[in-house]
Amino acid sequence: MALVDSSQDLSAEMEVDAFRRLFPLRFFERHLSESLRPDGRPLGKARDTIVNLGLVSSADGSALAKIGSTTMIAAIRMEVMTPSLDSPDEGCIAVEFHMPPICSPTVRPGRPADEAPVISKRLSDIISSCDMIDLKELCLVSGKAAWMGYLDIYCLDADGALFDAALLSAVAAFSNLQIPVVALNDNGRIVAINGGQEENASIREKEAVNKEKRKLTLKNIPFSLTCILHKKYILADPTAEEESIMDTLVTVVLDSSDQIVSFNKSGGNALAGSSAIKSCVELAKKRGKELKEILGEMDID
Amino acid sequence: MAAKQGAAATTYSPKIMARTRPPIFKGSDLDWTRPDGRGFHQCRPALLQTGAVSAASGSAYAEFGNTKVIVSVFGPRESKKATSYSDVGRLNCNVSYTNFASPTLGSQGTDHKEYSSMLHKALEGVIMMETFPKTTVDVFALVLESGGSDLPVVISCAGLALADAGIMMYDLITAVSVSCIGKSLMIDPVTEEEGCEDGSFMMTCMPSRSEITQLTITGEWTTPNINEAMQLCVDACSKLGEIMRDCLKQAASASDE
Repeated sequence: MALVDSSQDLSAEMEVDAFRRLFPLRFFERHLSESLRPDGRPLGKARDTIVNLGLVSSADGSALAKIGSTTMIAAIRMEVMTPSLDSPDEGCIAVEFHMPPICSPTVRPGRPADEAPVISKRLSDIISSCDMIDLKELCLVSGKAAWMGYLDIYCLDADGALFDAALLSAVAAFSNLQIPVVALNDNGRIVAINGGQEENASIREKEAVNKEKRKLTLKNIPFSLTCILHKKYILADPTAEEESIMDTLVTVVLDSSDQIVSFNKSGGNALAGSSAIKSCVELAKKRGKELKEILGEMDID
Repeated sequence: MAAKQGAAATTYSPKIMARTRPPIFKGSDLDWTRPDGRGFHQCRPALLQTGAVSAASGSAYAEFGNTKVIVSVFGPRESKKATSYSDVGRLNCNVSYTNFASPTLGSQGTDHKEYSSMLHKALEGVIMMETFPKTTVDVFALVLESGGSDLPVVISCAGLALADAGIMMYDLITAVSVSCIGKSLMIDPVTEEEGCEDGSFMMTCMPSRSEITQLTITGEWTTPNINEAMQLCVDACSKLGEIMRDCLKQAASASDE
């Protein structure tokens, strides 16, 4: 009898699985009408989020962010550049988002994913426009040398809400950034002072250019939440499966004081009414608080 | 982005790279300790983990000291449209580096063609290609951080990922490299050691069958040194094989519960 039961269970399970694959939209709508999602989350809840700092020893600052299974690793390398004439006492931040072929079955080597440059651009726009970093802090010698921060974000596992995870990892990497102590040598080049190396002994005697400026002050931290609009439902923090079935995505980016930094709805079937937009912003506010707590825990240790 | 490209050529890293060979190797080899304090015949501690990437059919993460690698396996899936009919399966390999993988690489982190083809050649002897006719298995590796012995770590990690994906293989695949510096042999070299080595030796083998799928020897080697290196690699491979087997067993028992 037990055997029959288990085989029935199995066939029922297989039927559900087949239904999910054949009629994904109906499968999801049945869940939505119960205010529940296939992974057991209520509609407005984001997945579990983890942030880890300082994993990449070859970079000056790094962080790993995980939202559900979506995983991002961000690393910042600091290099020296000659600032442009227009802004002689400002540094620069270059953001690049990569989707290597390991992250998703749809990305093949040699053919970069379509989303990658879009996310790259949006990230660099937000980082430069939301006043998070004062580029003047990146100045070393006015008009002569300034920091160029190369921020590289790699998607290790793509399971929806890529932009949110990428922004979170970028912010965390900036909070982890340790700017190397440098000095100006005789040739007018900037060199690092890392204790213990004999060849730097002559330089060490000279004054370091940036003794105090080891950390960036993050004035304003952006947090983002992506939602799916589908009929009357709003689903926060979608998985890759949900994104592939329902195509209207809304991304809200808020700063520390809940001001909207960016609002992005890139087309899609559903039209967003003002009430839907309001509830998206509400959800983003709630999510911002959660993320602030997660990052706050990181800053303590 | 245009601004970035313009600026990319003019930036430089303030870190000074030591590119000189340590002078210690002249006479007293035995006094030399390795940069990370290991013995000459001691491998770095290995951390292996399967199931790192949920989107892949199988995946593994390997961390040997500072060398950190993720390998994803996709498929068996439909071959590319352009490929002709094939009775046996195909294997497609790609190895790429992150931009921050090593301080010397700069922002050149892209596809590594040589390692891609080496990985392919190391794996094709182990996989039972006839079990997935007309389809392709993709093995993609990303070196998150390069800390020396990158290729052997990529190959071993790929072996673990293939097993995690349930691709039929004759045996697990393990790879270990040895550097020859002066008179001494050092197993599992780090970047600094690789930079000043006289010769390198890399072996990929199936530990339970004691069969070698790939063996590369470059540089200056004497016959007794080659024999010793071979023995070192065989021993290290069988130990690594056991660690990988334990890792797979743990993953299997965890998914049973």
